[in-house]
Amino acid sequence: MRRVMFWIAIAIILVVFLFPIAWVYVTSLKSPEDIFRAEKLAFLPTFYNYKYIVTVRPSLLEFRNTLIVSIASTALVMAVSLPAAYSFARFNTGGGHLLFITISTRMFPPVVAAIPFFFLFRNAALLDTHLGLILLYLYFNMSFATFLLYGFFREIPEELEHAAMVDGYGRLSIFRKIIFPLIKPGAAITTVFCLVWAWNEFLFAFLFTRRIARTLAVGLAVFWGSIEIQWGPMAALMGLAILPTLAAAWFMQRFIIRGLTFGAVKGQ
Amino acid sequence: MTEGSAVESLETRKTLWQVLTADKYIKWFLSLPLLVVLSSFMFYPLFYCLYMSFHEYVLRAPPLFLGAENYRLVLHDPVFWQAVGRTFYVLVVCIAVELSLGMGIALLLNREFGGQNTVRGLCLLPLLISPLAMSLMWNYMLHVQFGIVNQVLVWLGFERVEWISNPEIAIYSIMFISIWQWTPFSIFVLLAGLRGLPKDALEAARVDGASGWFTFRKLTLPMLMPLIIIIILLRTMWLIRIFDPLYGTTRGGCGTEMLDWFIYRISFVFFDIGKGSALAIFSLYVTIVLCAILYRRLIKALGAAR
Repeated sequence: MRRVMFWIAIAIILVVFLFPIAWVYVTSLKSPEDIFRAEKLAFLPTFYNYKYIVTVRPSLLEFRNTLIVSIASTALVMAVSLPAAYSFARFNTGGGHLLFITISTRMFPPVVAAIPFFFLFRNAALLDTHLGLILLYLYFNMSFATFLLYGFFREIPEELEHAAMVDGYGRLSIFRKIIFPLIKPGAAITTVFCLVWAWNEFLFAFLFTRRIARTLAVGLAVFWGSIEIQWGPMAALMGLAILPTLAAAWFMQRFIIRGLTFGAVKGQ
Repeated sequence: MTEGSAVESLETRKTLWQVLTADKYIKWFLSLPLLVVLSSFMFYPLFYCLYMSFHEYVLRAPPLFLGAENYRLVLHDPVFWQAVGRTFYVLVVCIAVELSLGMGIALLLNREFGGQNTVRGLCLLPLLISPLAMSLMWNYMLHVQFGIVNQVLVWLGFERVEWISNPEIAIYSIMFISIWQWTPFSIFVLLAGLRGLPKDALEAARVDGASGWFTFRKLTLPMLMPLIIIIILLRTMWLIRIFDPLYGTTRGGCGTEMLDWFIYRISFVFFDIGKGSALAIFSLYVTIVLCAILYRRLIKALGAAR
């Protein structure tokens, strides 16, 4: 009886979580007429919408832009956040205040941070460029990445390093041989989070790109025109846009169960 | 980047390397890139907004000094206070629901069962999907005429509900979208916490004949406290900045305008940069005070848990 209840609960949770995602793909296969007829559950699937986003309004460039921006910004974020998080966790740099300041970059309303950056970027000819967006995403993701990595570094016992130091290892080899293998799962989780959030980010992309560097999120919003919302093509583009993040979720699932503790739970 | 240059200096000038890797300096040396990015990305907009908030600046005309006029105007604006009130209402409801749901589901998923990895992986999906895409999808699904949700209601014999277009309900629809998307975050943080709990303490409680509820309240919950505070802290930061679900559904209409949307409307629709900056400073101040309190509690809880 308890087992049945348990599985019913799991089933309800999964349906609520997954139905909207499944509905994206169902909608993307509907013909323009069927989109507006929810009562029709059985319909003739068509690739009309997918053809639309390839031929009528090509969206391939948006994929390329999003890919470039998310990979480059994530690489930068990790280059900046990894050493800093290590420094915060091991040496308590700035006594906790610095970490709070780092987190607080995300407290500033991004809408307003966008104004000064907009003028700055206009003068530096960075509007509607990949580089501009990459820099903004560095700012956008850096604080959370540092906070997350800080937790992972804290989980590595300090004694391990001391022992290695006594054995005559230099700092560099300690980092390479001891810290790095232990931080790898945590770094993987952080990397995926940064990749996915840069991939999904909308506000900055919306304000800072027009045509050349337009990302997928902005491309989705464009289907909401002044006259009508083109649900079909929008769902098709959505379906393609969320595919990489679905893959990322699958990859992450293995690490994340033990991972997301922010260093708050020790002793396993 | 930094490591590359570090390796070079190791080969050429050993003394400099030794100086840089001394405990005293290496910590600053390692956090230098972050500090540089921080100062350029944080102080520039901050001082810009501080400056502009004391000026009348509607694009094209040069900034005109106003004193605290912008702040006075904002603080006397009932629309602004409505937006603030709504933001806090959403904040409290969303975090409370996410935490309780997250805790319940985390306890459920913490058991061993066949296909556990698949189920957990599937539960993670909403968190990683584009918030804008999903709010657009929910907008479609909740539509009065052709939304599947209303269709199901009709099949079950209920009335159609104007989920998005009714000012009484729209705000709850937005809360629901946000909760749907972010509950997995609570689930996975708490699940990781549950997995990391010391088994012997829980075992001892069971041997002593403590009830499940008692063990949960007196043992599990206090040990998970730091994580709960972290969830509240991060979600507070993110929810005050809520934007995508609004853009994908009501676009600030139907009684759903929240603080950030208000700022967006003032500064990007009316181009009133001065007033927008005053609002931003106010919003930043509120967020920092709120988060500083939470952060202090977190540090304390971390100390207690250790």
